[in-house]
Amino acid sequence: MSFWNEFFSKLYIGVLTTLQLLAVAIPSSIILGIFIGVLRVYGGKIEKTLANLYVHIFRGFPLLVTLMIMFFGLADIGIRLTPYWAAALAIIVCSSAYQSEYVRMSILSIDEGQSLAARSLGMKRSVEILYIILPQAFRIAFPGIGNEIIYMILYSSLAYIVGVNEIFSVAISVNSIWFKPTEVFLTTALIYLAMTTMASYGLKKLERKLWIPGFETDVKR
Amino acid sequence: MVKDLYKRYGDKAVLRGVSFEVEKGKVKVIMGPSGTGKTTLLKCIDMLVKPDSGKIWLEDLELTDPRIDVSEARRKIGFVFQEFNLFHHLTAIKNVMIGLTKVKKLPRGEARAIAERSLLKVHIDRELWDKYPAQLSGGQKQRVAIARALAMEPMIMLYDEPTSALDPQLTREVLEVIKELAEDGMTSLIVTHEVGFASEVADEIMIMIDGRIVERGDPRSIIYDPRREETRKFFNKIMKIGDELR
Ligand SMILES: Nc1ncnc2c1ncn2[C@@H]1O[C@H](COP(=O)(O)OP(=O)(O)OP(=O)(O)O)[C@@H](O)[C@H]1O
Ligand SMILES: [Mg+2]
Repeated sequence: MSFWNEFFSKLYIGVLTTLQLLAVAIPSSIILGIFIGVLRVYGGKIEKTLANLYVHIFRGFPLLVTLMIMFFGLADIGIRLTPYWAAALAIIVCSSAYQSEYVRMSILSIDEGQSLAARSLGMKRSVEILYIILPQAFRIAFPGIGNEIIYMILYSSLAYIVGVNEIFSVAISVNSIWFKPTEVFLTTALIYLAMTTMASYGLKKLERKLWIPGFETDVKR
Repeated sequence: MVKDLYKRYGDKAVLRGVSFEVEKGKVKVIMGPSGTGKTTLLKCIDMLVKPDSGKIWLEDLELTDPRIDVSEARRKIGFVFQEFNLFHHLTAIKNVMIGLTKVKKLPRGEARAIAERSLLKVHIDRELWDKYPAQLSGGQKQRVAIARALAMEPMIMLYDEPTSALDPQLTREVLEVIKELAEDGMTSLIVTHEVGFASEVADEIMIMIDGRIVERGDPRSIIYDPRREETRKFFNKIMKIGDELR
């Protein structure tokens, strides 16, 4: 088999694996990020402390180290994760910590009148958060969350370290057989670039869809 | 009905023993200088701020009773804010519907019908229903806010300087709506600086200074023949500002 034949057939599997990893990591980290962001603003003393600690820890660990802990560290205490799930989990905890920060800041930037109006109508706190605060906070946090999505696409390459057969690990192994670093890594870079380009495009479209007249100026007053 | 209400923020006593009653179908107006606790009083009545002591009743329900469900009670009180506080992410009609669907748990169709009726009552026409708050004028925003409160069928409406963020033209259209509602028998408690409006609409005017109601009575005697020096000074001051604006 020629170099390109072998490279592309392996890359195909690698791309699928990366996409599978992202398909789990992106939505989970967003949901978890929103949940933790909400806890950090509205939680009781204990919830707040725990949520802040979570963010402090996972923003303080390099993703690479978190990845090792999820794979080797957890195995030591009897929780054996497959490389795929160890990588997914590491990306989720790391990214959700960052995303909760965007969510928390957007919630805090919403003027108090919104909450007063919601409560004056008789809304319970949970209804207020779900239907009044979060739809606005999500729109404000959207650019930040979008950035995190791009980062997740790029940092998913770190999963090679625990043996996930994704794009970057394919590149490494093909290069070690054929030793054509320029071809291999340039192609790999282009694939990541294609993925982030598509993601940016999708995010732009979604942002336009979520756009509400005068919203930004009204909220950030 | 409000009895002996006290509230302090830190070491600042904002409400210092306020008592009064708004009888069913009546309109009471509160006037007074800035910073005397008018907003705080209205927020206490809607339990948006917890008073330090004193009691508040909504007919025979004691709102200050710690055992009651406050959000349940709040839906029976309509609150109209100085800054409108429309939900930025919802269209005019959805602003009015959301209390009906998420608090009263009405089905969408029914909620929409009630919302439409409410909006028409405050003269917001069909072509504005699907506009977002940022696409509405101040006067339109405030009327949508009134419709939002009205749709919940409150037992009383509280208005906190509903027109002080509006220019004179828009002020008129909002005051007109409040007056129509009052004439329809809506029990109302209104904080305002609009002397002319107050004298037309009020059954009683209460003057609040430094956290106390210092004088009360029918509009004519309060405005033109106040018994207390501080009331006279207050009216002189706002009339003068009014003249300067003109
Ligand atoms: N959340 C708060 N924390 C601390 N102090 C407050 C708070 N809210 C109001 N105050 C203070 O309480 C006093 C009364 O405020 P309030 O808003 O009730 O006055 P007001 O009569 O409505 O004035 P205005 O005519 O300017 O609206 C003011 O001195 C204000 O600074
Ligand atoms: Mg005020």
